[in-house]
Amino acid sequence: MSSLNASLAIALSGLTAEQGALEVTTNNVANVNTPGYSRQVPNLVSSDPIVIDPLTLGTGVTLQSIESIRDPILESSIQQETQTQGQLNAQVAALQQTQVNFTTSTSDIGTEITNFFNSINQLSASPADLSVRQGVLTAAGNLASSFNTTANNLTQQQTSLDQNVVQTVGQINQLSQQIAQLNGQINHLESDGESAGSFVDQRQQAIDQLSSLVNVSVIPSNNSLILTTANGTPLVLGTQSFQLQTQPNAAGLHEVYAGGTNITSLITSGQLGGTLQVRDQQIPAIQAELDTLAAGLANAVNGVQAAGYDLNGKLGTNLFNPPPAGGTGAAASLSVAITDPALIAASSDGTSGSNGNAEAMYALSTQAGIDGQTPTDYYSGIVFNVGNDVSNATAEQSASTQVLQQLNDQRASISGVSLDQEAANMVQYQNAYAASAQVVTTINTMMYDVLQMNVLNG
Amino acid sequence: MRVNPNPLPDLLAALQQTQQQINTDLQQISSGQSVIVPSDDPGAAAELVQNAAQTSAADQFLRSIGSVQGEVANADSTLSSVTTALQRAISLGVEAANGTLNASDRAAIATEVQGIQSQLVSLANLSYQGSYVFAGTATQTAPYVVDPTSPSGVTYVGNSSTNSITLGNHFTLQTNVPGSQLFSAAGNDMFQSIQDLLTGLQTGTGIAAAVGEVTSAANYLDAQRVFYGNASNQLTAQQTYLNSDITALAEQQNTLGGADLATAITNLTSAETAHQATLAAVAGANQPNLFSYIK
Repeated sequence: MSSLNASLAIALSGLTAEQGALEVTTNNVANVNTPGYSRQVPNLVSSDPIVIDPLTLGTGVTLQSIESIRDPILESSIQQETQTQGQLNAQVAALQQTQVNFTTSTSDIGTEITNFFNSINQLSASPADLSVRQGVLTAAGNLASSFNTTANNLTQQQTSLDQNVVQTVGQINQLSQQIAQLNGQINHLESDGESAGSFVDQRQQAIDQLSSLVNVSVIPSNNSLILTTANGTPLVLGTQSFQLQTQPNAAGLHEVYAGGTNITSLITSGQLGGTLQVRDQQIPAIQAELDTLAAGLANAVNGVQAAGYDLNGKLGTNLFNPPPAGGTGAAASLSVAITDPALIAASSDGTSGSNGNAEAMYALSTQAGIDGQTPTDYYSGIVFNVGNDVSNATAEQSASTQVLQQLNDQRASISGVSLDQEAANMVQYQNAYAASAQVVTTINTMMYDVLQMNVLNG
Repeated sequence: MRVNPNPLPDLLAALQQTQQQINTDLQQISSGQSVIVPSDDPGAAAELVQNAAQTSAADQFLRSIGSVQGEVANADSTLSSVTTALQRAISLGVEAANGTLNASDRAAIATEVQGIQSQLVSLANLSYQGSYVFAGTATQTAPYVVDPTSPSGVTYVGNSSTNSITLGNHFTLQTNVPGSQLFSAAGNDMFQSIQDLLTGLQTGTGIAAAVGEVTSAANYLDAQRVFYGNASNQLTAQQTYLNSDITALAEQQNTLGGADLATAITNLTSAETAHQATLAAVAGANQPNLFSYIK
């Protein structure tokens, strides 16, 4: 047997469900510009019917759940690409600063090497001229200071990258803490059978941020999430987060530790990976090349000095202070050993007019004495390497930007809020609501009719 | 199919890209350089380093040639004066050898030859910018010292070394001939011959033989002088070569690192067009949606 009351209840369920659906739409519209927000759809199902023999009667509609629309595989691709992007961004930004040191100017190393040899050639033309000799000392001093400046700039950059490492590790720790907290909230809601859509969105947003900082692997476990970095080191296990630590090494640069294990070399992507790569590999490689060049030049010049005679007819002494054995630090410490221009050994026979040894020194400019190359060739090799590093990283960066943009487009096409769609939904829900309301009015009239019937009979 | 409902981020990225292209083009046009930092073209940047070094070295070679040229020209004109002085000595000797002159006439000639002798000493002690040109490499002291005890009347205190200087890639030039080779060569010793002439004039014997010695020394010196003429020619030739080399290097530099203005301006124009199109697209992205039509 059906009843008016049952119909009223069904109409009410319609009103409630459409109200709920409208709320979802409203929420979508409100979050149209929220980063990381995934659109939600109301999941309307018809309520369980009741069977009153021989009829099976429907009992209305229920708003069963609100579902966030997202594609987990796409999310994980985005997260992967974000790691690459973070690494390349850090690398390009750092290397662009580095390469400024190797831009041709009036005082870059290449120019100063040539100026030094030019002054030697001038000396060869006037071996006894004190002002020309002074010119050689000045050029040697400028050469040394161009090496010093470049080496110091590189060290300074390394130091500031080191500070970046410490800051980035701080950010990573904050984010993993945040993710662990969100894990707790999501777990709590979902175990109660409720939808945790917006918390999941927030967590995804935090994971994306974390991915831009460091390499992260996401392992979903029921209602929760495990995050690991660098070869399986855990960052977040469910509601628990593990902090990374930094400790300075012998060189004063900070290494990254997880639970007492040094994981620095295992961090390969994200901003932290890129920063570490420049700090620990690319800058030291350039420093080593500069040291080879500085030590090679200083030793070669000193060697020629020792074979000739100065203006006083005495055997030549070191023009440059001898670089450290092995060459490490040679560029930063290169300095001129003499202040008396008469001590330059231009003469090959002890007479002041001889230029034989100055010629031998000038010949160093064309001798393949630095690692099988002339000083200028070796330096131009450094310029090439630095430029190539930057240009490769920049090319990769723009490729990665393209990929990421495409992935984000895909994500938006699945999860983004479309105002047209929401407007259409709104009209749909509004019409259904109006219809249900009309049904209520009709039932009300019918109820009234029934009551009138009683009055007449009495 | 559902599409990305919000194209603005893509459009902004495109705007950034076209803006970057415009900036790059403007920088190239305003600086005239296509390689501003090494990453713009690493290969060209490395070659530019070498190009700059070669250009700078060539400039220095030109400066060094300038220094050497002065010395060579001075030496050459001094040797010319020496030859003139020797010619005068020869004619005086021929006059004295005539046999009709008496002792006092010869004494007068001897005085003049003595004058020539000291002139020759001073010419052989030519100093150029503080260096004695004919002293070998012992350039800080005058190479010829008047010495009455020496048979030639002078002592050579210079050495027999020479200097060579690099004035180009694979080009070195000897820049001096020592006095020992020019003026005091065994068999052609100029000072000895003049001293012999002087002795002949004073004693009245052996004048003709001495004139022969002076003539031979003068001829020898003329032959030696060719060295400086050659050196001067080589310096001029090298100068011409270096100047054309510098021009070629400048061209290479321009090819490697100079901005191709025509291309840069074309790029700029197309980047600006793209930028404006994207801007129009961004403005168009603000289209009405369904909400605008719901009353």
